[in-house]
Amino acid sequence: MNEIKPTQSIGVPQPLVDGPEKVSGKALYSSDFIPNNCLVGRIFRSPVAHAEIIKLDVSGAEALPGVHGIITGEDCDEPYGVLPIARFEYPMARDKVRYRGEPLACVAAADVETAQKAIDLIKFEYKELPAYFTSSDAMSKDAIDLHDHRPGNIEREVDYEIGDVDSALKDADLVLEETFNCPEICQVQTEPHAAIAEYDAERDYMTVRASTQVPFYVHIMLAKTLKMNQSKIRVIKPHIGGGFGCRTECLNIELMCALVARKAKGTVRLVVSREETFITHRGRPETDVKMKIGVKKDGTITAVDFQVIQRGGGFSGYGVVTILYAGSLVFGVYNFENARYKGLRVLTNTPPPGAMRGHGTVGVRYAFEALIDELSNQLKMDPIEFRRRNFLSAPTFTANDLMINSYGLPECLDWVEKKSDWKSKRGNLAPYRGIGVAASHYLSGASKSVNWTGEPHATIHLKLDWDASITLLTGAPEIGQGSTTVITQCVAEVLGLDMTRIQSITSDSKVTPKDNGAYSSRITFMVGNAAINAANNLKQVLIEAAAKKLDCKPEDVECLGEVYRAASQDEGMTFEEVVLAALEGTGTLTVKGNYDTIPESHGTKKYRGGAIGGSMAYAYSAQVVEVTIDPETAQVTVDKVWVAQDVGKALNPLSCEGQIQGSVWMGMGQAISEETVYHNGLGVSGSMLDYRVPSIIESPPIEVGIIESIDPHGPFGAKEAGETSLSSFIPALTNAVADAIGVRPIDLPVTPDKLMELMEKRESGQKAGAE
Amino acid sequence: MELMPNFQLHRPETVGDAIKARTDNEEALYVAGGTDMLVNVRRGIEQPQNLVDLSAISGMKSITEDSDGLHIGASVTLKEIHDHEALVKNYTAISQSAKAVAGATHQMYGTLGGNLCLDTRCLFYNQSEWWRQSNDYCLKERGDTCHVAPGGKRCFAAFSGDMAPSMLVYNAEVDIAGEGGIKRVPLKDLYNNDGLDHLTLKPGELVTAVHLPQELAGDPSSYEKARIRGSIDFPLAGVAVRLRKSAEGSIEDLAIALTAVNPYPQIVSGLEGLIGAKLSEENATQVRDTVRKQAKPMRTTTVAPWYRRRVIGAIAKRLLEELAG
Repeated sequence: MNEIKPTQSIGVPQPLVDGPEKVSGKALYSSDFIPNNCLVGRIFRSPVAHAEIIKLDVSGAEALPGVHGIITGEDCDEPYGVLPIARFEYPMARDKVRYRGEPLACVAAADVETAQKAIDLIKFEYKELPAYFTSSDAMSKDAIDLHDHRPGNIEREVDYEIGDVDSALKDADLVLEETFNCPEICQVQTEPHAAIAEYDAERDYMTVRASTQVPFYVHIMLAKTLKMNQSKIRVIKPHIGGGFGCRTECLNIELMCALVARKAKGTVRLVVSREETFITHRGRPETDVKMKIGVKKDGTITAVDFQVIQRGGGFSGYGVVTILYAGSLVFGVYNFENARYKGLRVLTNTPPPGAMRGHGTVGVRYAFEALIDELSNQLKMDPIEFRRRNFLSAPTFTANDLMINSYGLPECLDWVEKKSDWKSKRGNLAPYRGIGVAASHYLSGASKSVNWTGEPHATIHLKLDWDASITLLTGAPEIGQGSTTVITQCVAEVLGLDMTRIQSITSDSKVTPKDNGAYSSRITFMVGNAAINAANNLKQVLIEAAAKKLDCKPEDVECLGEVYRAASQDEGMTFEEVVLAALEGTGTLTVKGNYDTIPESHGTKKYRGGAIGGSMAYAYSAQVVEVTIDPETAQVTVDKVWVAQDVGKALNPLSCEGQIQGSVWMGMGQAISEETVYHNGLGVSGSMLDYRVPSIIESPPIEVGIIESIDPHGPFGAKEAGETSLSSFIPALTNAVADAIGVRPIDLPVTPDKLMELMEKRESGQKAGAE
Repeated sequence: MELMPNFQLHRPETVGDAIKARTDNEEALYVAGGTDMLVNVRRGIEQPQNLVDLSAISGMKSITEDSDGLHIGASVTLKEIHDHEALVKNYTAISQSAKAVAGATHQMYGTLGGNLCLDTRCLFYNQSEWWRQSNDYCLKERGDTCHVAPGGKRCFAAFSGDMAPSMLVYNAEVDIAGEGGIKRVPLKDLYNNDGLDHLTLKPGELVTAVHLPQELAGDPSSYEKARIRGSIDFPLAGVAVRLRKSAEGSIEDLAIALTAVNPYPQIVSGLEGLIGAKLSEENATQVRDTVRKQAKPMRTTTVAPWYRRRVIGAIAKRLLEELAG
């Protein structure tokens, strides 16, 4: 007799549930929605970086046949922004423009040619003001303020000390300090921003489809800027071509689209160009890190003293959170008690950056891991051994109260050390070849959400109907990271069913429960736990229904997925029979599940903003990178990467591997070639030719090791999988370059011109020494 | 992508009809693969009312070989060039150049003629209409200031084709068709040292073919370009070297040509002194320094000009040493 077993979904490599649509071209993205009589939206953008608006004359454009509506800053006096404490951006500039490309007006016209003609007819009179394109210029004494309520152009100053840094540095046997520059970068996700707004003038009802990671935040900001009741708005997130943090806050695109649709009393499709996507920005800010670390002879870290300056662009966005993350997440990888942090988030006349993958942590982690590589060298200690001397011991709380219950960093380092053949390679490779190591971590969802509503952190609905299918309703935005697949797996696992029993509907505010969005790597942890809770609740309903039919106690019912039975000799009931029993008298059922974080995970009260960094769990990564450098062209080739990440439990090993490789690859872009370049505030690199995302030629073989530390709070033990391994790539690369040529690149990206300068300096230095 | 403006498309089937379509129509432009030109059209850099598509002309699509050498139609794709056996074997640098252009898909569309007639490039020029307008345009287009060398009255936009230097070291000639018929001129005469007006073609003239001389077939040669990424990028600096050695190993003939460091593809001069000599570290270094002197990269890309000058010399020396064996 065949043994009846529940189907296992967790820990099994699963192709993504929405994969077939995507690979066959059937998936619809925002810009694919072209309703009948759809108008074309187009944006008039500021040609100058900083100016008072004298007059914006749209009369010529308004008079143009085929133009159905034009909006300007006059049409919206409600500011928006992701952080309730820093909402002072308008969909279109009102008093001043603060960066080149800031929207001033939006046109809705019958076709794209008319829309462009209308844009060309807009007359903008302005009085130019001094503009500041660097943090230091914006902070200079005689600089005028971009915003009256932000004196000195400081968006946020963070200043705290934990422990006693000065005495700990005195106690150290070796102290090193270095200042690292990490230029601004962008996500360059495949899909440029797009929104389609359908305004129903009869009912005063707005439906918006948008390429966003946070439909809930978009919903709130639409209501705020349109001054409409939230119940009169519906937000739908179609398929998305990548996010990586550039859409973790409501963008002016969605807002302008809706505002102009209402003005035109129709439907408007606003799809922006790649350049406009760069201008909308929300990438990683330029970050200068001054890092000082003291160590004992045995390698133990005594104190960390560091300063961070971030060029924040014209508006806040996530800025306050970014500068706080840069401080708080220096903790959590290694064990040290003394740290002093000074962070400055500066307002400048450049497009506002945002919460890019590895939010806030990447520059600081780079500086930290590069400096401890140098410390290990000077202590003549193997850098992996150095790191071992500074391990945390879980469960623990860090000096700034980050709650750490699982810590797989030791196993990650063991794995990369062994797989890369580190011991025989380090220091022994041929000239111009080198190998480097680094580690990193990232949180599994911010424990406190930025818009705290008192609702559970995550909610899942499961609809069970007469056809014995389960419809999974989730607001969690699938942005290509595989969240819908993971949630489906969680439900299937609890119920012991094959995943094909479950179909999902995602991110439609009229249908799916509210979800905070796809950011801070929260979905697997938070929504996964809510999905487990929902599935357990549904299972209980099914068990009780089965018990009634089987005439036994619920606790005696054995749930085997497709079969429920009272005892092993009982033939039991099929899943379909149990479902019909459960629906008797009640009809279609919707069962829900929730998840909430625990207060212990909410960060520290030791300093202002201490909640930022708090998470239920932290994932860990270690990475070894091997490089070859061309002695003549100074070109760096990444030969191979070995990366191990502690993901708690790999719910879907296939997508974990993909996410880890993607993180490595994105880190590589920042390390070797990516940088946004401006000419007086005009983005020079606003195309995929001039902004140099690595091509397939630069993409090295990446060997992935998955470490499972089984976090006690994680869904089946899982933690973050999609961001952690980004930041460890960058220092591992520069450490490898230092190993290869004996000179350490400090400023990113390590392009051949920068490296050649270093190599030539080294050579002339050596010659000078020899003479 | 920016808006593609309306234009009339012409698809002539003969060279004569193409020239007629180009000269009879206002603001007409030829388009072959379009991989570079259509980007410029979308950006408003070119605003043609008429586009004369060359892809229907059958006479420009083949590679033939005879006792004079190799004859390549201007519409032959870059992929066909890098795959072509005789080119791989006898004119190696040319095949390597074709493989170095942009990315694999561009090579399937891009043509030899298009690459030879590629517009010059500059970071202040290859930008959107909004961008250029916000920056008051530039000397090369609608403006009166050069942002690369403010105050100057010359355009420094860099010629960035990969094919030209390799063809130049093989003394290639081109057929230029015009209203008066076809003339054959040395490839080097196709170019001016002027970023604003780098082609000597008269209005309506069309490059229809390239001829490679038989007497240089089989000379060892090589092409390499410096760029940040191993694909997609235009050259920051590119070098083609052709070196013929005698049985004893001395240099019999040497030609070097550069791209991306001047407004035109440049043949390096002053190498005659090496003829008859054996390649040594000393004279290879001399060549490196000669190349560095003649390359005049300006701030037309985001990568510093000094690096482009350093690297072009380093690549020239390396190629030379590799070819010398």
